[in-house]
Amino acid sequence: MADVKIKNVIKRYGAVQVMHGVNVDIGHGEFVVLVGPSGCGKSTLLRMLAGLEEVSDGTISIGDRVVNDISPKERDIAMVFQSYALYPHKTVGENIGFPLRMAKRPKEEIDEKVRHAAGILDLTHLLDRYPKQLSGGQRQRVAMGRAIVRDPQVFLFDEPLSNLDAKLRVTMRVEIKELHQRLKTTIVYVTHDQIEAMTMADKIVVMRDGRVEQIGAPLDLYDRPGNVFVAGFIGSPSMNFLRGTIASTGGVKEFVSEAGLRLPVPPTAATEGQAVVYGIRPEHIGVGDNGTPVSVVVVEPTGSETQIFARAGTDLVNAVVKDRVRANPGQQIGFVIDPANVHLFDRQSEQRI
Amino acid sequence: MHPNKLGWLLLAPTMLILFLFGVVPFFYVIWVSFHQWNPFAADPSMIFNWASNYRQLVFDAQFMASLGVTLAFVFFAVLSELVIGYLLAQAFMKDFPGKAFFRTIHTLPLIMAPIIVGSIWKLMTTPSIGIIPSLLDSWFGYNLNIGQSAMAAFITTVVMDIWHWTPLVTLSLIAALVSLPADPFEQAQIDGANKRQIFWHITLPMIRPAIIATVFIRLMDAMRTVDEVLMLTGGGPGSATRYVGVHIFKEVFPRTNYGYGSAISVIVLYLTIVVCWLLYVGLIAPRNTKKG
Repeated sequence: MADVKIKNVIKRYGAVQVMHGVNVDIGHGEFVVLVGPSGCGKSTLLRMLAGLEEVSDGTISIGDRVVNDISPKERDIAMVFQSYALYPHKTVGENIGFPLRMAKRPKEEIDEKVRHAAGILDLTHLLDRYPKQLSGGQRQRVAMGRAIVRDPQVFLFDEPLSNLDAKLRVTMRVEIKELHQRLKTTIVYVTHDQIEAMTMADKIVVMRDGRVEQIGAPLDLYDRPGNVFVAGFIGSPSMNFLRGTIASTGGVKEFVSEAGLRLPVPPTAATEGQAVVYGIRPEHIGVGDNGTPVSVVVVEPTGSETQIFARAGTDLVNAVVKDRVRANPGQQIGFVIDPANVHLFDRQSEQRI
Repeated sequence: MHPNKLGWLLLAPTMLILFLFGVVPFFYVIWVSFHQWNPFAADPSMIFNWASNYRQLVFDAQFMASLGVTLAFVFFAVLSELVIGYLLAQAFMKDFPGKAFFRTIHTLPLIMAPIIVGSIWKLMTTPSIGIIPSLLDSWFGYNLNIGQSAMAAFITTVVMDIWHWTPLVTLSLIAALVSLPADPFEQAQIDGANKRQIFWHITLPMIRPAIIATVFIRLMDAMRTVDEVLMLTGGGPGSATRYVGVHIFKEVFPRTNYGYGSAISVIVLYLTIVVCWLLYVGLIAPRNTKKG
């Protein structure tokens, strides 16, 4: 177990700079998820942590040593690849035991640790099989087994669940989180799926275009996103954004959209006339007679909840309500918004106000 | 027309050619090997003599010696080609200026007819006019004369074979290396394997099918080397490089001993199959049983 410090890390490929001074502090035993859209640099950052990519500038330390120039094998890390990267010519047992064999541990110790890991991951009956004889979920577990036998300082996961079907993904998510609770090893986990990030992480690092947009606990990011990008990325379905300005009627500030729609705002530092982006999560919109009038476009009942797409002025707004709402396209209904749930961002800088 | 019938019809020309030029000569050789036959003798007829050609073979010291040097030749040539071919393949996996150019010219020996290769090497190794003896003499003071030294002749034939056929090994190993996925190699680095361990535990097992196929091809080819060696040394000095192919040639053509030559051919074919089978048992079969 160790902490990981990423300081001002820059990555260049030739003249092209793809990572621009990334700083992340990861504490002992923390489960940190790097999340962001494709090409945001999260996998590159993970590969730099693993030593598979060189650090162009800045430092990465694991424990108390800087590992910039230390080869992957000496970093005492374990990694699970998206493709699982199992050795096709080795059995499950040989795959799991490989890191120990490379470390020239005695055979009895290897056997015992492999059996222990296989027990944890429910692979005991598969130890003599070859990777091609396994299902996706089983391969995934073998890859994890190979990581845990080593008892490394840090686990690195590179989109490990992307190749699994939706149902299995949920199961494996729980298994990985449970594994973390049991082993208490530091984990750095890369995903593009914000649900995975929200459900598993102690701390989420949201990245975009080689920069860190925000770092925080999952619910902090959800409750207080620092900018429009994070607000739109975290949470599903995605936050509604309306463009407009802040107006004041009788000393009470309110938001006026470009189409003239007036919406309530929380007590805010935004000044009158300031151009803002108004953000409200679909699940924070209620339906009621005294709400802002909107025109229903599509209603999607999913059983547990109902998703309503409605036109508010010229903007399309999405609401998710627990009640079963019966409404026809074109019908006028009222959207009720609690100002406490509203996020305001400056239009220019896109930063939270 | 029934699709099945159409298929057979389309295959017919190939099968006919294969039958005429493969199957018929094969059985004809076996048939001839049971006869005493010298078409240029006073009595040119084929005289059936049961297995006496084969009986004679077993006591033919010249044949046994020839078999011995052939196996030595095959062993050294194929092993060296494999090692050098792998090293070259690894070199060609890296990027360096002029890579495409070097990769192309390094395959040039492959497109040369063996008889030409033999002639070139004969020119290059002839004492007093060849470049190789001249260089060896000026660099190391070594006097290369493949017409006199049995060992020098043997080594020269091995080197010639390496020069001629290593590109084939390189090409097939490049193809194998290129198709390998990158992930297991990165994984192995993280798992703590050093370069040597990665080679033995990951690279080698993963390109093993290509290695085995290449070794089989080279083995069968090297066992029946004739023209290059015949051209270079004529099987000499003495019988130092009288490999079975050369031996058969000399038995059949100058001596017109067709029946005996056929018997040797059949035995050599049989031995080639045995060697391949041994390789198969040694390299492939253990893995399959383990898998089952």
